[in-house]
Amino acid sequence: MGNNKRYAIVLDSSKCIDCKACTLACKMENDVEIGAESYRIWVSLKVKGSYPNVSMEMEPSQCQHCENTPCQSVCPTQATYKTPEGVVLVDYDKCILCKACMTACPYDARFPSHHHHAIEKCTFCYHRLAEGREPACVETCPPKVRVFGDLNDPNSEVSKLLATKKVSQMKPDRNTRPRLFYIIG
Amino acid sequence: MSHSEHAAPKNGLANLITYNKDIPAYPYIIVGLILLGIGGIGALLALFKGHAAVYNVSREMPWGLLIGTYAYFVITSTGLAFIGGLAHAFGYEKYGKVSKRIVVMAVAILLAGFTQIGLELGNPLRMVWMFITPNFKAPIFWMGIFYSIELVILFVELYLVFMPNKSNHKLSAIVGFFALLVGTIATSNLGYVFGSLNARPFFHGIYFSTFLVISGITAGAAMLIIVHNIVFKGRIPSELNDTISSLAKLMGMGIGIMIFLYFWKIMSSLYTEPQGSYEAVMAMLAGPLKLNFWIGEMLLAVFIPLIIIVTNSKNPAMLKIAGISFMIGLFFTRYDFIVAGQMPVLREPLPGSGVIADSAGLAIYSPSIVEWMVYALGWGVFLTLYFAAEKFLDLNTSEHH
Repeated sequence: MGNNKRYAIVLDSSKCIDCKACTLACKMENDVEIGAESYRIWVSLKVKGSYPNVSMEMEPSQCQHCENTPCQSVCPTQATYKTPEGVVLVDYDKCILCKACMTACPYDARFPSHHHHAIEKCTFCYHRLAEGREPACVETCPPKVRVFGDLNDPNSEVSKLLATKKVSQMKPDRNTRPRLFYIIG
Repeated sequence: MSHSEHAAPKNGLANLITYNKDIPAYPYIIVGLILLGIGGIGALLALFKGHAAVYNVSREMPWGLLIGTYAYFVITSTGLAFIGGLAHAFGYEKYGKVSKRIVVMAVAILLAGFTQIGLELGNPLRMVWMFITPNFKAPIFWMGIFYSIELVILFVELYLVFMPNKSNHKLSAIVGFFALLVGTIATSNLGYVFGSLNARPFFHGIYFSTFLVISGITAGAAMLIIVHNIVFKGRIPSELNDTISSLAKLMGMGIGIMIFLYFWKIMSSLYTEPQGSYEAVMAMLAGPLKLNFWIGEMLLAVFIPLIIIVTNSKNPAMLKIAGISFMIGLFFTRYDFIVAGQMPVLREPLPGSGVIADSAGLAIYSPSIVEWMVYALGWGVFLTLYFAAEKFLDLNTSEHH
């Protein structure tokens, strides 16, 4: 895998039908254990307005793979690290389970894994990328809410979307510079 | 002093052993052993059933009681080392007169603290990776380094106070200075461990690094006052009256600075309602932690000891009550600051979000029975080690150079 890639996901939440295919695919692909607190990605439901003028919005999310990475910064053993493409990963064998990364992450994207006996998180399905496959949540989504690609490639779909659409990022006040972009409007 | 049955040791480890029949240490050793037993069971449950099965910490509240009790013990230890450093390095003779007790207590409390972090970490053995692939920018890396160095320095101090030799005077001063310095760095860095958490604005700034150091020194003074009252059954020898009086003043000054820090931390967290800090402070003032804060932190750790110190500064028995009140209250101080900072949840607790919170949108946490048992282990380690030292070693400092 080349080092000149910068992976990112652009999300169009307005397309989300809350089918939960992404969360299920993530669990299946990554062997995420069952449990109320064991999840790498999630879809929050926001109810807006009041009866009879009520609407519902979905907000799918996950680890933001921040460029300024709070979880990596506090990890004493470098168990949390970034790949050359900017994907934030965990070396489970090095995790002392101090949970500093959980406490530091502004997006609540990390959780203890009993399988790995370590703190885990979304990996952008890094193991699939070398095979030219997209992350499971991207591949499985029927309305294509998520678009995955390389920010350094001007011809990638993510670059084109960012060039043409207005986007926002979560918690910009945290200065984390996320790699997840949400299309607005 | 009259407590040792025979003269102070001359040399060799065996000669250090004595039997102090007048020191009422056995009740404390027995309580310590009981707590060790309870804590040992808790530790085994945590090790064999797994932390997730027996601890109540959660995704929303990753750090709970054991981080608070770790801070409680290790910061008290560095506070004691600070007071010892004042004696050895800066010539505060009043504290030099109790330097053995200071060093022994600092070691025992630091070891008690290590039990807490050892059982809080899910994979303590993997800490070897801190030396193979260290992250020099991570405050927890430095926490491990500084507290380890502090333990080594305290052991050197231990050697020096039990093997007194005039030629070691300069060495004692140097070691005492480094115990003070490294202890202060370790504790202020512990404030930075929390301050470096991007997601938790309540911990940001200089407040905790300062507050932890000051409250640690105050705790050290409180522990020395308590222990001297126990050892001398409330009848402090006349030669130690000025020591106890000075420790009381140190405690009073510490509480005074704590009030100053409390006030401005609370004001800056309330005014204009800065997100993250405001919710945390409100959780303490009027939320789930309000009893802890008002009764534990304010009444027990601030008002009662301060009033006693101001009105009964020459009364050791009353000062003992002030010390006990402070140390009980300090538990809530440590617990609250850990928990309150994590209470504001990081995502809205909406359907599908997976976030669990109370009706006010705050994370929910109450320590489990096993977490309390592990806390008991910490006290068991301290009480057993320290009071065994009182019973079987001569902790009276007959002459301080």
